[in-house]
Amino acid sequence: MERNLPLECACKSFEEDLVLYYYGEMNDTERGRVERHLSNCAACGRFIGDLRRLLPQMANSEAFAPSFWDSYYRQTMAKLARREQKESWWRDLLAPARVWMLPAFGTAAVAVLAIALVFNKGDSQRFSDRSMGAIPQEILADANQLEFFKTMDMLEALSKLEEQVDQNPEPKPERSSRLDGMQANA
Amino acid sequence: MIDQEKLRDEELVALCQQGQGEYFEPLVRRYMEKAFRIALDFTRDVETAKDLSQDAFVRAFSNIRQFDGRSSFYTWFYRIVVNICLDYARRKGRVAWESLDGPSEGLGERQLADTSFSPDQEAIASEAKRRAHETLEAMPKKQRTAFLLRNHQGLSIADIAKVMKTTEGTVRVYLHRAVAALRQSLLEFV
Repeated sequence: MERNLPLECACKSFEEDLVLYYYGEMNDTERGRVERHLSNCAACGRFIGDLRRLLPQMANSEAFAPSFWDSYYRQTMAKLARREQKESWWRDLLAPARVWMLPAFGTAAVAVLAIALVFNKGDSQRFSDRSMGAIPQEILADANQLEFFKTMDMLEALSKLEEQVDQNPEPKPERSSRLDGMQANA
Repeated sequence: MIDQEKLRDEELVALCQQGQGEYFEPLVRRYMEKAFRIALDFTRDVETAKDLSQDAFVRAFSNIRQFDGRSSFYTWFYRIVVNICLDYARRKGRVAWESLDGPSEGLGERQLADTSFSPDQEAIASEAKRRAHETLEAMPKKQRTAFLLRNHQGLSIADIAKVMKTTEGTVRVYLHRAVAALRQSLLEFV
């Protein structure tokens, strides 16, 4: 049964054609070309011979009894029935609700969104309160002091300006005169 | 009353799509053997092949509205079967093929045991089958699919291209590579 090795190859340019030829996947012209080549090439002849011996044996041709197919059919139909039942259960559940379902779900979604926004706002408020509460007292005191010093600086600057104005009185601009006039009229 | 058995696949599918699920039954009868044998080629186990091919019918039935008629029903359905088998193979890894070594699982060996081979010849044939399955297992899945659909199921290259959603030229290449690999691995048994 065994044959001498190494492997004897078919002509490289024909090997794919030989596979197609074996499976009958060629038109008349191509088939004629391959057959002409086969009549002159021993290596390709052996290749096609090998395919004819090997490939049919590989296919599983085991016969199954009619009872096997009956059982197979019944099982398949039972599986299909179960699936259909499952799907129809969903359909039945959803069918009467279909008319009002869309607006109802829409309203519910808007309500949930509104509630979420309200609560989130409260949360953020609480968070900001918490964050303020979390600042150490020493730092808060320092911040108050800074505000105080800023105000004092501003007042001091204003006093200096007033002093300068008193020492070097400038001619009043026209706008101011009109303003004074308006004030006088009033 | 419509005679279901006389209706073409496309007519049955159209009726199923209109909500008349009972028209799926003739499709089961028509394709159950082919679906089972494809699954058996991939899994080498009768019970698994039964489950997978039956699951393919359930999936086809559930998705029947998605069938758009651009291909024939059977290429659409074969694609479902093949995908289920490949998913199974991916999940199970080598288990299905390794089970060939078990005494009750080797379909090829059982098949050959029914013939009139002598014990020696039977042993060689069994070894050849084992080698063939190993070679098939080692192949890229697309090569294996193309080979099984052509060699075992007899699908044309054009139909295999539709099932695999590729070109006929690509299928020819897959087929050639698969056959060349098998011939090489089995030459000593020829």
